[in-house]
Amino acid sequence: MSSREIILARVRAKLGRSDAAGRRTRAEAALAAPLRGPQPVVGDDPAGRFCAKASALASTVERVPAAADVPAAVTRYLDAAGLGRCAVGAADLATFDWAAAGLAVAWRGAVDADTVGLTGSFCAIAETGTLVLLSGPRTPASLSLLPETHVAVVFADRIVATLEDAFALLRREEGEIPRSLNLISGPSRTGDIEQTIVLGAHGPRRVHLVVVG
Amino acid sequence: MHSQAMFFRARADERVDNPVLQRALAKAKPLFVGKRAKGIEGLADDGMEFEALRQAAAAIRNRVVDDLDVWLEIFEERARATGAEVLWARDGKEICQLVIDVARRHGVTKAVKSKSMLSEEASLNEALAGAGIRPVETDLGEYIVQLAGEAPSHIIAPAVHKTLAEVEALFACHHGRSPLPRTAADIPALAGEARQVLRQHFLSAEMGISGANFLIAETGSAALVTNEGNGRMVTSLPKVHVVITGIEKIVPTLEDFATLMRLLPRSATGQTISNYVSLLTGTRRPGEAEGAEKTVYILVDNGRAGLLGSPWQDMLRCIRCGACMNHCPVYFSVGGHAYGWVYPGPMGSVLTPLYTGLENALDLPHASTGCNQCGAVCPVGIPLSRLLHDLREAQVARGLRPRRERLGMWAWGRLARWPGLYRWCARRAARYLAWLGGAEGRIRVFGLAPGWTAGRDLPAPSGRTFHELHSSRQTKIG
Ligand code: SF4
Repeated sequence: MSSREIILARVRAKLGRSDAAGRRTRAEAALAAPLRGPQPVVGDDPAGRFCAKASALASTVERVPAAADVPAAVTRYLDAAGLGRCAVGAADLATFDWAAAGLAVAWRGAVDADTVGLTGSFCAIAETGTLVLLSGPRTPASLSLLPETHVAVVFADRIVATLEDAFALLRREEGEIPRSLNLISGPSRTGDIEQTIVLGAHGPRRVHLVVVG
Repeated sequence: MHSQAMFFRARADERVDNPVLQRALAKAKPLFVGKRAKGIEGLADDGMEFEALRQAAAAIRNRVVDDLDVWLEIFEERARATGAEVLWARDGKEICQLVIDVARRHGVTKAVKSKSMLSEEASLNEALAGAGIRPVETDLGEYIVQLAGEAPSHIIAPAVHKTLAEVEALFACHHGRSPLPRTAADIPALAGEARQVLRQHFLSAEMGISGANFLIAETGSAALVTNEGNGRMVTSLPKVHVVITGIEKIVPTLEDFATLMRLLPRSATGQTISNYVSLLTGTRRPGEAEGAEKTVYILVDNGRAGLLGSPWQDMLRCIRCGACMNHCPVYFSVGGHAYGWVYPGPMGSVLTPLYTGLENALDLPHASTGCNQCGAVCPVGIPLSRLLHDLREAQVARGLRPRRERLGMWAWGRLARWPGLYRWCARRAARYLAWLGGAEGRIRVFGLAPGWTAGRDLPAPSGRTFHELHSSRQTKIG
């Protein structure tokens, strides 16, 4: 017998439950109609809450009125922080006029030497101030991971209340889950040396969010 | 990991007398407790109740455990459908074999690791090194203990026992530089140093090994929760990704996962959410230039199935948040290494005897004051005190208690059958102990059981037995 069979046989013997087929049907039914547990009351200004929560988690946030304002806002941020004017970015942002704002963006995944990673977001979550990023050919996950600075563009009308709402949106719009779905809540951090919090453990030291609308 | 749990007493004694460890623990405890308290209090601001969430979380975990066979099959099918390979391991030895096989097939010489307690159960690092594959721990705490040649002393803060000075000494030695005088202000510099060293490992390793906080049956995914981002590196940069998890780690749906995620970070570190929560599903998709090309799940029993249908089945709900040890007076007196195996604190005192044999960890079920702080904070409502108590009973039932104790209990049991004689003896004992306590009412040295007074005074009884006090009060009331 293989280890698989041995383990499953052991589990069944210990559980002492019969009717495997019936139990299987019930489990499949539970998967087909997922139930939500207790959820937070998020209020009627999800974008406001998202910004407040994200700031509390050490991200910096700027709100701009329209999509056309994004490139200039990003350049302003990079200039103010002295981060240069080169970035690598996710191709879904290529339609913005970055050149006009004086920013040189390479549309590819990040490598070790890249300093600024520019991404959009699938959606964002007001509950916790969290970005939801899906990996894909045009949205490589390395952009939000390897560079020291991660700048993300978030559209206010894509800010949902809860994690469950984000998953519902994923099922509705994408149908399937990507290779990596990343929920990002601020710069990477560690508390492993004497419980002192340090930002920029392995991932970005800075996360800047430009919220549109 | 080879268990040293049978030496708990000696190991605990050493650590109680270790001032460096005691300082580290004294510093950590109020932080852990305070952060969790704030995190849980924060639930109310959003109109949520801890108790309601905890019941929902426990129900989710129970649903899985009750039908574990079915959920394992569903997870396996769906994970395979995404292109992942699913392997099964009965024990630690088999984990090592499987990982080494996968590594050999893909020409792996270095593996970067994100925290996996199961790889500690299996002593995977030793096995990998023995097979010529270099394992590199990448969680900062795990990296520190790996450099020190130690095991983690806490399930979420592996290096909680290490002071800044010790970390500095380790880094100087292993990073080939001379030691520097360091203060708390230098902690970011040390973290930065580790970042640089580990970044090169992330980029050059051919294999990433991680645990999973949860397996999601609906999507066949592994959920990984980290703050540092090392979990993301390990699972996306190397071409091969191996996930090692216990068979009990499944949750049915993404919604169930969301419910548990409201409790896990809050219980562990007081955070509303950890910095990175990743759901990893299958392998690199068509058109993608990055991400693992090969994903392997290793589903491990290593004793877990044995808990099903036993008085300890509740323990399989555990989501490894660490809250029970963070609130345990015993843990903070002796530190995690005293427990002698992978899991410390109350959850470890339950798991170690169950996974490594009752007879190999006789002291652990007794390493508890019975205060049930652990049970009170556990986010999935595991009755830890009761489970420890049941383990004590199982020890007695299997005749595993020391001869002297058994003899004493037998004698006491016999004596209790003659109430008159029993009362007479109790009176003598109470009077004697009161006399021994003197005017202060404290017994400094108790000859019959010197261990009791080795590190503390024993408060002396008043001199009257319970029966005497009871009957005198009954008369007054009457
Ligand atoms: S027993 Fe409960 S409190 Fe302890 S680690 Fe497991 S889930 Fe957390």
